[in-house]
Amino acid sequence: MSEFVYEVKDVSQVYKKGKTMVTANDRISLSIREGEILGVLGPNGAGKSTLIKQLVGQLKPTKGQVLFCGEDIIKHTRSAASLVAYYAQEPHVLSALKVHEALAFTGRLRGMATRDAEKQAKELLEQFDMADWGGKQLKQLSGGQKRMVGIGTALIGHSPVLIFDEPTNELDPKKRRLVWQLIQERNREGATVILVTHNVLEAEQVVDRAAVINHGRLLAIDHVSTLKQKVDQRLKFELTIGSGRRAEAVAALQPFGIVQESAENRLQLLVEKQQASRALAFIVEQEELPILEYALMPPSLEDVYFHIDHAARKEALIS
Amino acid sequence: MNTAQMQMRLKQPKPFGASRLWTELSILFRIQFALIRDSWVIVLLLATMFPLTTILFMRFFVADPTPEMMVQIIAGNMIFGVIIMGLNSIGQEISMQKHQGHFTFYASLPILKLNFVAANLLRGLMSTVPSFVLLGVIGYWIYGVNLQLSWALPFVMLLSLTSIVGLGVCIGFWSPNQQLTSMLAQLLMMVVTFLSPVMVEMNQLPKMLQWLSYLFPTTYAADALRTVLLHGWTNGVMLDCAMMLLYSCLTIFIVNRLVSWRV
Repeated sequence: MSEFVYEVKDVSQVYKKGKTMVTANDRISLSIREGEILGVLGPNGAGKSTLIKQLVGQLKPTKGQVLFCGEDIIKHTRSAASLVAYYAQEPHVLSALKVHEALAFTGRLRGMATRDAEKQAKELLEQFDMADWGGKQLKQLSGGQKRMVGIGTALIGHSPVLIFDEPTNELDPKKRRLVWQLIQERNREGATVILVTHNVLEAEQVVDRAAVINHGRLLAIDHVSTLKQKVDQRLKFELTIGSGRRAEAVAALQPFGIVQESAENRLQLLVEKQQASRALAFIVEQEELPILEYALMPPSLEDVYFHIDHAARKEALIS
Repeated sequence: MNTAQMQMRLKQPKPFGASRLWTELSILFRIQFALIRDSWVIVLLLATMFPLTTILFMRFFVADPTPEMMVQIIAGNMIFGVIIMGLNSIGQEISMQKHQGHFTFYASLPILKLNFVAANLLRGLMSTVPSFVLLGVIGYWIYGVNLQLSWALPFVMLLSLTSIVGLGVCIGFWSPNQQLTSMLAQLLMMVVTFLSPVMVEMNQLPKMLQWLSYLFPTTYAADALRTVLLHGWTNGVMLDCAMMLLYSCLTIFIVNRLVSWRV
């Protein structure tokens, strides 16, 4: 009996574009455990969506195999669809339907009873603060509202595996927070979640493990904290300097570590751990420099992402 | 649900009973129907205007038509309406659904492709029936010909629609891109309408086109409709209906078995 929900084994996807062969995925291997939230990170065209389509059984890998609960997904695509809810994009397909119809119909197509589907659709609309919009057609909604309904179509039916492709694009901060909360809530109830996102900073709050993909290759996969440890052991101070005093501040801070300019009046100071207390004391106690704000920042998942991507590019250049 | 339970569900999926099939089909149809719910007037106009103007044109063009000729024109234009909607519009609509990623949504649900196809066929029927009836009534009124209102008329009408709509569904499913689908559907529409015995009689066509026209379901549809309107149910109509039934089954089989939407 497999302990993994998904096992991706040496999967490659090659397709023909005009006269050239394009590699969308290149020998990707990874496993996804039951009950975890895996973030799949990578730039546009990295091969993330190709991987997701292979995971839901909509794309047969050119090479390799995707096992879902120990079984080849290609042989069980329809049965797998009853266990995996996939949010791909805003539901243009349902745009002529009313909002509550779009949710309830999707629930019923997942095998829910009419009454349960209607009830859950109503609950979701209340959670989304869209209860008054249930009777409107989807095409009458804003881009963000349509996206929320799309997310609702993935959440309805309480599928044990949830896959979201860029769920928070176009959403306002309040709705984005709500979506992350809902995803975490479903995960606490036992759902395994796979999350494709560009929003690395937000994903960091939610994911257990992160997989970094670029140029169709899996560059890294691990727990977020482990990935962070691999990146940079230095501490980072984010500083806001009074206008016109930047050069002076750079000169004063340089003895403690590396100073980087991140914006017009913002600096980053990278210091070794043993220098941290001295640097902090200087920043807090100094009176000459107008440091308006300061914050000590641990390495973020975004730093990890850039670091891994940079290292991979460097390696590619050397080879 | 844990991995072991999911594995069990994969190996032993829930049986697909008649009630589940019906639920699925009715919901998929309602989704498809919603697409034309707001634009039914345009759909009706689109399916009616072209054949209607052809009927009117032929009324002015043909002097002293015989009853057979009048029925030929009326039946031909009724079938022309079916071709416009069933082949051209449905083909393009399914192609649009394919290229706008609608299949990704449907394929992510545990539904049968056959039901999706059937829902599209039903939608094609819904869009075509009003124009079909309207053209019959207007044609009858303009030409004043005494048409047989046989019990077989709705049956022939239904088979004409299913056999032709199937062609549109096939083109839409196979479409490599929307532009090509549009060109192909319009080309085929003109060929089957004007180079097969839909508007004219079989013996008016060159021999090669006569042989070629046996490949098109429209040939059988037009022949059956003409005969039913003139003489009611005959053995010839029965043969035409058998051919149309064969086309309907064949196209559904092809789409269901040979066109993949998941892998």
